[in-house]
Amino acid sequence: MLRRFHLDEPETVKDASDLLSRYGESAKIYAGGTELLLAMKEGLIQSERLVNVKKIPGLDEIKRIGDSVHIGALATHRKLESSAELQQSLPAFVQMEANVANIRVREVGTVGGNLCFAEPHADPGILLLALGAGVVAQNASNMREIPMDNYFVDAFETCLKPDELLTEVRVPIPPPQSAVRYLKFGYLQRPSVGVALRLSLGDGGLIRDVRVAVGCAGPKPCRVEEAEELLKGKGLQEASELIGEAGQIAGRAAEAIGDLHGSAEYKEHIIQVLLKRAFHQMVQEEFSSKGEGGPHA
Amino acid sequence: MQFEKQIAVAAPREKVWEFIWDVDRFIACVPGCKEAKTLEDGKIYTATMVEKVGPFRVEFPMRIEIEQSEPLSHIKARASGSDSKIGSLMKIELEVNLKEEGSGTLLSFVATVDILGKLATLGHSMVKRKADQVMAEFVEKLKKSLETDT
Repeated sequence: MLRRFHLDEPETVKDASDLLSRYGESAKIYAGGTELLLAMKEGLIQSERLVNVKKIPGLDEIKRIGDSVHIGALATHRKLESSAELQQSLPAFVQMEANVANIRVREVGTVGGNLCFAEPHADPGILLLALGAGVVAQNASNMREIPMDNYFVDAFETCLKPDELLTEVRVPIPPPQSAVRYLKFGYLQRPSVGVALRLSLGDGGLIRDVRVAVGCAGPKPCRVEEAEELLKGKGLQEASELIGEAGQIAGRAAEAIGDLHGSAEYKEHIIQVLLKRAFHQMVQEEFSSKGEGGPHA
Repeated sequence: MQFEKQIAVAAPREKVWEFIWDVDRFIACVPGCKEAKTLEDGKIYTATMVEKVGPFRVEFPMRIEIEQSEPLSHIKARASGSDSKIGSLMKIELEVNLKEEGSGTLLSFVATVDILGKLATLGHSMVKRKADQVMAEFVEKLKKSLETDT
């Protein structure tokens, strides 16, 4: 049963941040509530105050600014999966969003809430890491942009300060000759393993830029720079011979934990399989049929 | 969950033994532990364990009973407590052994920790991970406290 709590409904980020400063740990931000309310009903989180940020105008907008898309933290997964702007500029992100949890969660759950709760078995953070995204954190007087590489600290823990609100996610649009994939696997409600890959080709069809990110298997999403280094500068043929090794490196980097979703060894193996699959999908669907200058995904 | 830890301490066995039974100094090394009290010297103690994982906070008032104690070498204890707010129970069985090693002491812990109730829904792996962090911090504080103490 949900215990009684006080509901605040600030209309500006400053007011929301002031409430967080004033009430400290006894106040929690409430957006979609898909994680928070469940935990409160179970009694796992006791909060005397909820700060409903959904009354703050403009925090759910999706805008293209230059070579990036700025996504308001309050945009629901549903809004993201049906956004024409995102379909155009970041189709892989749309596909990931369309498969987050289930339709009930997507209808009310927000991308900001998902990132703030930092539940380890979540999809968006992994893909955003591979896309080189950043988040904007704001308190009453300051605003700062945090690269996704530095955002997740541990399971359920982020680098946000107690009085900060995550207000926006900024995603750079991959350059031409790029492809992006996010693949996940799981048999429970939440994914057991998630793998994201972004590849950009340069002159002569060599891999100019590559980002690999893994998550769900361990406590937090992480980027695998060692695997990226292995693939960078290689041609697609050579990379296809190295992708298995890159997958092994990614498996180890995930800090997989054995639990109900599977043993650590199992998860490491699935990471390798998914990374190989993501790479081969890109090569077949984006780079080979359209030549190596196909559109970004 | 079972935890095993061996700590080489650069301090004689008598000093380590004495330290373990000095409740206030010992408790200061256990992260999240507060309000330690002696109910019966050498036999029954109470303390409260507070831990936080992201937005989740647990508070276990624990009762610790010493089942066996052989001076300078061995302690066997049992502790249990429940967090009524979140409806969870924690039980710990602990064995501590001290062995002389040169001029220092080899202190070994074997702890079996059982967590029942809603806290378990967070997942065994999360709880184990947090417990590992707590244990590592404990070892560091204990060594520092024993080795710098005169």
